[in-house]
Amino acid sequence: MHGPATSARIGQPVTRKEDRRFVTGEGHYADDFNFENQTYAIMVRSPHAHANIVSIDASEALAVPGVLAVLTGADFIADGLLPVPNKTFSMHPAEIPLVNTDGTPAFNVPDYPMPADKARFVGEPLVMVIAESIAAAKDGADLVHIEYEPLPCVTFTVDAADLDAPRVRDENTSNVCIDAVIGEPDPTEESFRNAAHIAKVKTWIPRVTGSPMEPRGAVGTYDPKTGQYTVYTSSGSTLRLRRDLSLVLNVPEPHVRLVIKDVGGNFGTRGAIFAEQPLVAWAAKRVGRPVKWTSERSELLLSDYQGRDLAVEAELALDKDGTFLAMRGSNVGNLGSHTGNFSMVQKGVEIMSSIYRMPSAFFRVRAVLSHTAPTRPYRSSGRPEVMYVMERLIDIAAKQGGFDRAELRLRNLVSQNELPYKNPFGLVYDSGDYIGVMHRTLKLADWEGFPARKAEARTRGKYRGMGLANYVDTATGIPREKARITVHPDGTTDLIIGTISNGQGHETSFAQLVHDWLSVPFEKVKLITGDTDIVDVGGGAHSGRGMRLGSIVIWEAVNRIIEKGKQVVGLLLQKDAAAIKFADGDFFADGNQVMSLIDVATAMNSRTDLPQEFRGPLAGECDQTIMEAGFPYGSHACEVEIDIELGTVEIVRHTAIDDVGRAVNPLIIHGQTHGGIAQGVGQALLEQVYYDASNGQMLAGSFMDYAMPRADMLPFYTTDISEIPSTTHPLGIRPAGEGGTTPALGVVINAIVDALSEFGVEHMEMPATPERIWRAIHGKPQRSRMVPDTVEQDFSLA
Amino acid sequence: MPRVTMTVNGVARSAEVENRTLLVQFLRDHLRLTGTHVGCDTTQCGACVVHLDGVGVKSCTVLAVACEGSTVTTIEGLADGDHLHPMQEAFHQNHGLQCGFCTPGMIMSAVDMVRRNGYDLDEHTIRKQLDGNICRCTGYHNIVLAIIAGAAAMRPE
Amino acid sequence: MHDFNYHRAKTTAEAVALLENEDAKAIAGGMSLLPTLKLRLARYADLVDLKPISELSGISRNDNSITIGAMTRHAVVAASDVVQEAIPALSVLAGGIGDPLVRNRGTIGGSIANADPAADYPSSVLGLNATVITHTREIEGEEFFQGLFETALNPGEIITAVRFPIPKRAGYFKFPHPASRFCLVGVFVAQTETGVRVAVTGAAPSVFRFTAAEQALATNFSAAALEGVTLEPEGLNSDIHASAEYRAHVVEVLTRRATERALSA
Repeated sequence: MHGPATSARIGQPVTRKEDRRFVTGEGHYADDFNFENQTYAIMVRSPHAHANIVSIDASEALAVPGVLAVLTGADFIADGLLPVPNKTFSMHPAEIPLVNTDGTPAFNVPDYPMPADKARFVGEPLVMVIAESIAAAKDGADLVHIEYEPLPCVTFTVDAADLDAPRVRDENTSNVCIDAVIGEPDPTEESFRNAAHIAKVKTWIPRVTGSPMEPRGAVGTYDPKTGQYTVYTSSGSTLRLRRDLSLVLNVPEPHVRLVIKDVGGNFGTRGAIFAEQPLVAWAAKRVGRPVKWTSERSELLLSDYQGRDLAVEAELALDKDGTFLAMRGSNVGNLGSHTGNFSMVQKGVEIMSSIYRMPSAFFRVRAVLSHTAPTRPYRSSGRPEVMYVMERLIDIAAKQGGFDRAELRLRNLVSQNELPYKNPFGLVYDSGDYIGVMHRTLKLADWEGFPARKAEARTRGKYRGMGLANYVDTATGIPREKARITVHPDGTTDLIIGTISNGQGHETSFAQLVHDWLSVPFEKVKLITGDTDIVDVGGGAHSGRGMRLGSIVIWEAVNRIIEKGKQVVGLLLQKDAAAIKFADGDFFADGNQVMSLIDVATAMNSRTDLPQEFRGPLAGECDQTIMEAGFPYGSHACEVEIDIELGTVEIVRHTAIDDVGRAVNPLIIHGQTHGGIAQGVGQALLEQVYYDASNGQMLAGSFMDYAMPRADMLPFYTTDISEIPSTTHPLGIRPAGEGGTTPALGVVINAIVDALSEFGVEHMEMPATPERIWRAIHGKPQRSRMVPDTVEQDFSLA
Repeated sequence: MPRVTMTVNGVARSAEVENRTLLVQFLRDHLRLTGTHVGCDTTQCGACVVHLDGVGVKSCTVLAVACEGSTVTTIEGLADGDHLHPMQEAFHQNHGLQCGFCTPGMIMSAVDMVRRNGYDLDEHTIRKQLDGNICRCTGYHNIVLAIIAGAAAMRPE
Repeated sequence: MHDFNYHRAKTTAEAVALLENEDAKAIAGGMSLLPTLKLRLARYADLVDLKPISELSGISRNDNSITIGAMTRHAVVAASDVVQEAIPALSVLAGGIGDPLVRNRGTIGGSIANADPAADYPSSVLGLNATVITHTREIEGEEFFQGLFETALNPGEIITAVRFPIPKRAGYFKFPHPASRFCLVGVFVAQTETGVRVAVTGAAPSVFRFTAAEQALATNFSAAALEGVTLEPEGLNSDIHASAEYRAHVVEVLTRRATERALSA
């Protein structure tokens, strides 16, 4: 197959089809759904981190003009609705399962969208007020009187792991939901006994939040005649959300229709069902009118799913030449108040050793509940945290052992001829050229020229540092995915697929695939997603699965169309279908073009002499999953300049090379990398969901206190793509998407520590705020990231 | 309820609103011009930027009643029919958007930046002048490139 | 936000009359007031919009001062040739408030009347000992700011203009808050006919003078003169973004840098 000679083929930096509606204001997000006669909901949220709900008095609220209903968790239960089930682990066969050391199952409980018994974090929704207007609903919400019995709380990860800590769930004996070990203890201990150097790091990667720019929102409707609920919202997934909604609403799946149009960002923290989605549907049934809810940013900062929040104690053993021998340690991840998703600890620990040759390793892993908002996967869940730990260990080891930081990495990277490589946790990396990509990055980032740049910066009074970081990411991508492609006689080609774009540009990149493989005009490929009346199988765009899995089902669907076409041509021209070839949109018999794809589509739509199975639309579909993992990897370099008087950091260069296996649309891939870098830089320098451990209050409750990265603190990035085909994907796609963020925490912090090395600074915790840097330079005790106005306390994960 | 009248995208529009109605609510809820977005509640994200009497403002922090008799341009009114405004075209050509939610505010803010700072915008100026608009997807790289290109393309022949 | 009655005042006198109601509040650019109302942190029965009052806008200069009408927008002050020539530090300050969209809307009178502890303008009013002119009287900059969101204004009193004496030299340096972009610390240094003044915003519940630095600069107006001049952290703001100790340090550094700016202007 040659494919069309156009600039929209696979591999071309095609500008996006979806842009036109976004740049003209025609994008359609959750708050843009409006219905006649709609009502408005406001959530009353807990001001306490942990409290018994003693009573709720709605009488004054109900008396407010315009207030239609005040609904509570008790009403929810009374109506026979069910809590949201949690699917804690990735069950993908390529991933390493975590099992409790004592053999018991991991602790997992479903969560009520509005609990009736207790509040378990500040911002948890407890009461829903429905009114004729938002203002009336707010007036009503102000008059809902909830009597609380405050209870002791725990917010900090390490404290929550204490077996005597205040418990989030009475059903469990502690907050620990899983306590597992992974790796081989004996060879690891043996290596540590024989090590010439041991590098250690103890760190807490603080909680951040995804903060997509679109607020959460949903409109629910209910048709009493058919018993059909419809939820109009914005989400990272369609069918999983529909299934969860049906479970909560306690109706069969077909009784719930889900409609999603444009999604204003996700980053994982909008990937799962959120409380208000089933609540608006239920409320619509209760009040007999559509119910609309749109959050405000302050609510989002309290109640969005959040990310990261992992405490790690880790050690790396090296021989006298700097060869890695083993690593060991302990990870504790903070789940917040739900047993929502353990991927942070699971996906984290299984690649702790990154793409370095590591003969053995042994880690303890715990996931704990706390009185904080639930955490979920956030932009490369679990991996940025552990890549940061690994890359910090390497720099610490380099300093300790007197090794060059680049050479130490190159010496230990798994070489191409060792692949596939089974890492010490059992994960098998498919393919790649880790050493080659790092060399390319060193060249692109001008590693050799750094000393001169550093010297020049000093003449301006700036302390310049350079950091390096390699990374690997796991792309697994369940659940299954389905594509259905229909070629119409006018050339219009519909692609129906389950996965949904949250800004990744599927309308463009998927159209490139169809265009390339079927030679139908790029402009005529129409992507249809986001409505469960049309799509019936598929997942989100999480884990890089949009393109990795999407491309496979599109490829197969295309092949089925071609096969069908060959059969139709064979029937019409009385040729052997097996001998017919397809290329560039045309069918060939005996080397001659005989019919075009459009001819076939037209024939199938109009000819009545074809057998029944070949009459109707020319369509093909494929529904499958991928049982092997892909491993995107790459190598980044970052340079910072520090004003040591104030402690302020400027990112002056950031270089990234990411191996995506095969690049479908480099324009989109570079864009993903840029955004990913900014999110990583945000965590490294600025962002923290700051829970005050003394009372459970969240102190960064608006954009006045939660610092988002802005244009003036970021540079132009230098990004490049490597394309070593993935051997676990028929088209070689790894994929792209998380490459910007995954190494960013490590590479930024390594650059800062390098810049400060002459002050004896060996490590820097995140966020590396000016004050933190200033204190490190002067050897002053750091301030706590858990309790304001206190000194940071040491912790132990032993 | 008071009636407020203003010219929006060249058309006189009028509606009964509460005094507390914000300009963005008037545009979105009363006129159903949903291209102007609300991304925060503290006047920071810039998703709601429109031009009020020719000047960029955050429409989440302006009362609708205070705009009586004013002229408002929203993202829906920027293009010339099917012909995109040069700044819209530049965002498209430079992949200056991903999820698109911040994009209307970004573009309206960028056009106002050109009004304030002229057609020759360098990286430094753009980054400093863009601190009232937050994007979570793009890392700003392509937005800055788009504004450089869009500003140049806005220069009258 | 709670609803209110809305009035467009066409003259200062009309505004004064409307503000006699004690539940009434004047609204200028609205950049501080509206966010407060949106979060339901305050409620008023009446809002009196000063925007239509043309006499409250504009910038004028005489021999030794410039006068800026209360309703003059930050963007206008920042771009004003008069201000740039007479007090370039004030132009720099106005050009760094909030963001460009906020500067298109926010006004000097509104900012000063609100007296946000992290706002930029109060440092210039105190640092230059400007005169705040109201519809009834003139208030010395020295006397105007009285604490967290507190000023010397009486209920219903309207700022009509601010008169800034033209200093020999002045410099402003701001360390922006990482999230809000208000001042984590801002320092305004001015050398005037009557002496040196150093005013600090963002660091404490209200703008204040850094007197030790003023004394050091009085005899030798140079950054070198500030060597060893320190500010006690006690009483300074401490929050999740910066401790009092760090803020004190930043004040010291910014005072030197603002002095250097004053000298290079």
